Amino acid sequence: MRDAGPGRVPSAAIPPRAGIGLRAPHYEDAAAGRADVAWLEVHTENYFHDGGPQLRALERARAHYPHSLHGVGLGLGSVAPLDREHLARVKRAVRRFEPALVSEHACWGHAGGEHFNDLLPLPYTEEAAELLAARVREVQDFLGRQILIENLSSYFAYSASRLTEWDFLAAVVERSGCGLLLDVNNLYVNAVNLGLDAGRFIASIPAAAVQEIHLAGHRRNCVGTRDLLIDDHGSAVCAEVWSLYERAIARLGPVPTLIEWDTDVPALDVLVAEARKADTILERSRDLAA
Amino acid sequence: MTLPPEALPLAELQARFASALRAGVPRSNEAASEFPSDVTLPRVSTTALAECIVDDGLAPAARVQVYRNNVQAMFEGALARTYPVLKRRVGEDYFARLAVEYRQDHPSQSGDLHWVGMHFPEWLGLRAAGSDYAWLADLARLEWACEEVLVSDSLPAAQADALARVPPEDVADALLSLQPRLQLVSSAFPVWSVWQANQPGAPGDAVDPSLGPQQVVVAPDAVGLVLHSLPVDQFRFVEELAAGRTLGRALDASGLAVERLAATLAWLFGAGLVTAVSPRNAYSHGEGETPTS
Repeated sequence: MRDAGPGRVPSAAIPPRAGIGLRAPHYEDAAAGRADVAWLEVHTENYFHDGGPQLRALERARAHYPHSLHGVGLGLGSVAPLDREHLARVKRAVRRFEPALVSEHACWGHAGGEHFNDLLPLPYTEEAAELLAARVREVQDFLGRQILIENLSSYFAYSASRLTEWDFLAAVVERSGCGLLLDVNNLYVNAVNLGLDAGRFIASIPAAAVQEIHLAGHRRNCVGTRDLLIDDHGSAVCAEVWSLYERAIARLGPVPTLIEWDTDVPALDVLVAEARKADTILERSRDLAA
Repeated sequence: MTLPPEALPLAELQARFASALRAGVPRSNEAASEFPSDVTLPRVSTTALAECIVDDGLAPAARVQVYRNNVQAMFEGALARTYPVLKRRVGEDYFARLAVEYRQDHPSQSGDLHWVGMHFPEWLGLRAAGSDYAWLADLARLEWACEEVLVSDSLPAAQADALARVPPEDVADALLSLQPRLQLVSSAFPVWSVWQANQPGAPGDAVDPSLGPQQVVVAPDAVGLVLHSLPVDQFRFVEELAAGRTLGRALDASGLAVERLAATLAWLFGAGLVTAVSPRNAYSHGEGETPTS
């Protein structure tokens, strides 16, 4: 690894408290250390280039906050080969910013010469678990560090799936040594969209592997007589998701938790208030353990 | 032998998924509402993928449509972030149609959305050639130049007295290094005026085409980027410098009048566009080489 340059702050571990996703409207506040949250997360792909306002903002913000790089573009479960140039840019960003955590998704994203720039679901099969685990190992070997893999929100289930989602993720963890990023909103979206048993999911995932939690809002679409939830990260966390989060923390103990808000990004104090709610639940869990 | 959907290998599932996500109009029931009926676009079948989806009473085709919408929205959104002025000029509906047609010819080749709009100016140029809308391609070139500058690093600017320290007899042979990612855009149309008139908060008034050709330098600054509209002789002078010509050769080749040189140099230094001044003799390389600083 490259030595930290002059003025570099060694990367701090992310505390088991609440942070927020850093998006353009709040670059200046974060750069100046004015966001009253414990940590920040950014999308890795926004830091692939040599300059620009977001890059300068994170250079300054990292002096105030531990942070995480969250990737959305590798499409690890694609049968087509990994984009090595993309991976090299991830590595460059990791070296530049020295994040405490690096994460990606349990998804695929490119085939037939096109990148779809979306998080596309995998069937929960032995073949897909094996491919995803192999790709995660490839990434971890290249980066020289562990990554976390996030569970996906889905709009359909494959008839080919033979494993439960939690057994699928547990297999990937076991075969690759990766950690898990548990997105509780995605659990709820999948519970409504696909009938996933979110409680069993929380009770069954390998607890020791979970190093981060995501909370976000979704949009409710009506299709005929059915609801289909769209994971748009464009609103506050709903009551059902807070309730699932409490169950998750009860099982896992305090885990670094992120408020993700990517569309219609609100004022900073709205994000901070959401983070406070998560912090209250995390503190209660610490009190119970004490 | 045809495998049942639940036994298909992952590669086949992803191939079917990819086919269902291609740009175009789905053959299914949602087709009508996606685009105006007079638009001719290829029709895309989602049936092969729908066969692989659990049908629990909510139509598989409707579930696939969520992904189709997401993928096209992600692509169009990336294009709109790079080309906000162009989108404002052509309107949301027409921009959406352009995004579908453009994606057919230039599907995304990267997990990094920055690159989505890379071929758009050239593609638009072919599409609009000879029409009243040929200027849109030049506007797109200007906006892509902005996108490039926005993700570029800039070097510290040289001080204005750096040139004064060059002995007078060597000034004509001096090389000026410019910001490495400076973008130079010249157009037969008043694209800078269009860009100015359509910034956030500006009324977006139509621009008089008789304003004629414009030349623009797009440069990084402390908050992002800045656009400079230059007369043609100054623009050519900057082009020559950017190509690594000495001051003397740049002056000759650009047709910039000697009496305008001092003001042009003062502007270049004042805008922070010069990063180094090197007496050419110190770098006895061929024409076109850029000195280090």
